[in-house]
Amino acid sequence: MSEDKDRVEGYRQQSGKLPFSRPGSGGSRKMSEPRDEDKIANIRGNGGHKHDDVVTGSAVGRPTALIDGRWKVTGQAQYGDDVRLPGELVGRIVRSKHHYARVLSIDVSAATELPGVVAVATGQDASGRFGVLPVTKDEHAMAQEKVRHVGDLIACVAATDEATAREAVRLVEVEYEELEAVHDMRQGLENSEEPIHDRGKYHIGASNVQKRVFQEFGDIEGMSANAVVSHNSNWLFAGANHGFTEPHAVVANWDPSGRLTLYTPQQVPHYVHRALADVLDIPMHQINVHRTFVGGGFGGKSDPFPHEMCAAILSRKTGRPVRINFDREEVFWVNRGRHPSRIGMNLHADSKGRLCGIETDALIDGGAFASFGHVTTYYNGVLHTAPYEIGAFHYTGARVWTNKPASGAMRGHGAVNSRCAVEVGMDDLAEQLNVDPITLRLANLLPPHSATITGFRVTSIGMRECLERVRQASGWDDKFRKLPDGHGIGIGCGFFISGSGLPIHWEPNKFPHATVHLKIDMDGGVTVHTGAAEIGQGSDTVIAQSVAEVLGLPLDMIRIRSRETDTSPVDLGSYSSRVTFMNANAAISAAMEIRQELLEAAAAATDAPIERLVIGDRRIYRKDDPAVGVSYLEALHKAQEDKGALVSSGAYRTPPMGRVHKGAGAGIAPAYSFSAYVAEVKVDIETGQTKVLKVWAAHDCGKALNPLSVKGQIIGSCHMGLGQVLSEEMKYGRNGHLINPDLLDYKIPTIHEMPEIVPIIVESNDSEGPFGAKEAGEGPLLPILPAVCNAVYDAVGIRTSELPITPDRVHRMIEARCKHEGVTPLDLSSPELHHSELQEVLEARASEHASRDAMRATDPDPSDYNNGALFGFDPEIPADEQDERWVVSVTPSSDYMESPRLAGSAWKHTERRHGGDS
Amino acid sequence: MLPAPDEVPWSALVNGNEVSVRIESNAILLDVLRDKAGSLGTKRGCDMGTCGCCSVLIDGVPRLSCLTLAQEASGCGITTIEGLADGHHLHPIQKTFTECGGSQCGFCSPGFLVVISALLEENPTPNDTEIKDAIEGNLCRCTGYQQIVDSVRVASEILASGDGVEDSTTAKSDPHPSYGGN
Repeated sequence: MSEDKDRVEGYRQQSGKLPFSRPGSGGSRKMSEPRDEDKIANIRGNGGHKHDDVVTGSAVGRPTALIDGRWKVTGQAQYGDDVRLPGELVGRIVRSKHHYARVLSIDVSAATELPGVVAVATGQDASGRFGVLPVTKDEHAMAQEKVRHVGDLIACVAATDEATAREAVRLVEVEYEELEAVHDMRQGLENSEEPIHDRGKYHIGASNVQKRVFQEFGDIEGMSANAVVSHNSNWLFAGANHGFTEPHAVVANWDPSGRLTLYTPQQVPHYVHRALADVLDIPMHQINVHRTFVGGGFGGKSDPFPHEMCAAILSRKTGRPVRINFDREEVFWVNRGRHPSRIGMNLHADSKGRLCGIETDALIDGGAFASFGHVTTYYNGVLHTAPYEIGAFHYTGARVWTNKPASGAMRGHGAVNSRCAVEVGMDDLAEQLNVDPITLRLANLLPPHSATITGFRVTSIGMRECLERVRQASGWDDKFRKLPDGHGIGIGCGFFISGSGLPIHWEPNKFPHATVHLKIDMDGGVTVHTGAAEIGQGSDTVIAQSVAEVLGLPLDMIRIRSRETDTSPVDLGSYSSRVTFMNANAAISAAMEIRQELLEAAAAATDAPIERLVIGDRRIYRKDDPAVGVSYLEALHKAQEDKGALVSSGAYRTPPMGRVHKGAGAGIAPAYSFSAYVAEVKVDIETGQTKVLKVWAAHDCGKALNPLSVKGQIIGSCHMGLGQVLSEEMKYGRNGHLINPDLLDYKIPTIHEMPEIVPIIVESNDSEGPFGAKEAGEGPLLPILPAVCNAVYDAVGIRTSELPITPDRVHRMIEARCKHEGVTPLDLSSPELHHSELQEVLEARASEHASRDAMRATDPDPSDYNNGALFGFDPEIPADEQDERWVVSVTPSSDYMESPRLAGSAWKHTERRHGGDS
Repeated sequence: MLPAPDEVPWSALVNGNEVSVRIESNAILLDVLRDKAGSLGTKRGCDMGTCGCCSVLIDGVPRLSCLTLAQEASGCGITTIEGLADGHHLHPIQKTFTECGGSQCGFCSPGFLVVISALLEENPTPNDTEIKDAIEGNLCRCTGYQQIVDSVRVASEILASGDGVEDSTTAKSDPHPSYGGN
């Protein structure tokens, strides 16, 4: 080719005759000339990425309005309760009024006789067990034998209108035998006469321990011995609810062909699909789960729910569509919110300012069902093994059943509370070492492409840039420990999974995590079939952008069909921040297949060699002679000859990762997000009222495919996190009753509580992410809690260990400090900082590490780096293979069991199958 | 047996259309709008006036329809989310809500939008404090409100410029485009 550059080859467009001139052509020479291909740069991101060659500049990286936005702003978006089918019945649920009771009898006769009531169903109509995790299926559509919390389901009714349905619920007579309820999570660790569930041979003693985890990594012995300063705290975190604005609602309809369609605002239609098949005892292909618009999820709509089963059962009985719509109170009964937790956190730092140990003990209150709790129990520990390089990690975690509404997955699943404890601990260590807390963090970061102490493979890391950007943007150096009394500034960091490495249901099958189908017919529009659940986070939009980017098309030519399991490929749904990473990767693969077909057609049409062709905006042309080319539609029609519509399928599955110890799969992810926030607060010393004034929020999302949405996620995460740190709390009264199941007393921040948030997007260009992207939906929540707590310390010198920091709690702490120091509140002074010699040591190390990290971030083939190198070990080999003092253990020693910590005491029980009594 | 509630005639001008139906005397406006007046865009979030999702305009004034007896609004002009757009021309605040990130999951959007439309009607150039005061009764769990305030600012600029919002049915991208030139 290149030897004869003057020769013009191929189908050459003539101006006036064919629709194209050379883009940008003008002047007297209308015709282009071939250019020297070597001088045309490939489009490259920072550091290079495998998707660089398919970048067309069409869609990715631009602030983009959600493609379903206009449905929402015109009121035409149909949410769960907006699905109205002809002949529908209204369903209501009969709920337990006791915390824990045996159901002796259910008399439905009066309800059944009420005119207008069409059907009543009880647990007898569906005895199948279900649960979101296959290992802990402990839920039923309705009570089988016992009810386990106030609001637990007993029966359901279907009637012609809501008033009749409510009356019918009142008429169902239930005879209970009350059982002794467990309310305090600590009590759940003890043996009980009547444990809330019975797991057969897997039951742990006779206790209510649902899951326990023990992990020791690193130099456990040396942890305290090498420490020059330590932080010890015991935290109490209140439970939090997702607080989405749309209450749960569902419509079930068995059509005349005998198939069930379930309309439901679900984050994970696939799991409901599976659970329905189990409970209704029909094959999955007989069910179509139709995801409606979802009015907020945040993890609260990701379990299969009993009311979804109830609607299906009632519809089966009546032959009519049945709609069940929750009151706000019922949303709190079904819950699945953040676990109330008691977390003991000890951090140790050595004389060089290295983090020589983290000891975490997390007891979490699971409420009445397992839900995602198996995973939550791990996440409370393993998700703080980064971003810092650590000398030892000791984790004991336990999740107990109590007679409360079940806890489950909520934005930042399992990581939020313990991360708060770690970051407040870091602040305390810096205080004790007399160094700047940001410098302390910068001097202890893992580099890009490294392995954590538990063996997580971490690829891109933008943590350092996050810290540096917020330090600069907030004016940290002029404010920290320098603001007037009552004003304070604080820092917090975060680390979160970008998709879960192991799928819940797949092993040992090797199904992909995400699959995307594309179809292009002669009209040129692209139909994308995906099962990723659009819940407002913008998943439809980001998938459309990815396809548009690869095919060089404007966004309005892409239409997403993601609603129905009948037409969508199986997808694991919207949880664990997996959608952008996994689905966009699958969408790119699918689009690349079509792209290849278009290029081949264009090559045939123009006689140009395929490797010279590139795709631009709706046009395929020679890279070295842009006038030689065809329009997208011309190439498409050529490609469709004798074939019809182009179709393709793309899939994503995670690479093999992680170590092999028990529990090694929990917390592994194909990539991780990082974030650092600085919060500035004002605390009223006399009333204890905390006002957050401004937040600088830097988040490393790899690459912002839609910066508008990334910013929206960061700000929204701050809102939710500020709620948890300042005001949100599920309050249980003296008798264990939830006393605020409504949005009046469960205090979600209004606009007046919201500070200005300055979102700062950091792009570390992840090597495996779609166009370099990672998650931005959950990680951004983590840092706001500790940033506020640390700012409160800077303001008034009180270190909280209980959330939320409502004015009464802050006031009590201020009073206690005054009493301790014998002063009045107005005489309280805020903390001061006088740098020790260590500050310079840390600054030097941070600067050295900064160059190390910059090299590793762009190195196409970086050497192995294992946690432990900071402590003098060879980075290429895990430290535990180099030094026998570095342990890997997942069962407690008898020494530990002599004085276990709170959650660790769950290990005093023997699993029934090991106790010889099964 | 449920006591039969009294039925009363009810009529109102909903989004400019006369609606005349019979309702139960104790019916709540939200239920009447959703079940009898066809306004499923008006959302039920809490049923006790805390979230603002059910906001509508009664004679131009924002009201919580879940706390309003339907009979109180009898004979009034009611504007719901369905009444903001002029055919396929969106209200500027509807357009900017999508373009500035004011809407994520969208469930609270109808409430915010009618409240903001009333604000802009009364005060086309509100400052930040006025915007915040106007939407203090509406909860949004997704956006943290910041991009909602951004949307109002931009909508206010559109109103000031006098430009309308384009018709959403106009032709979209041509897959076989002309690049100009000759």
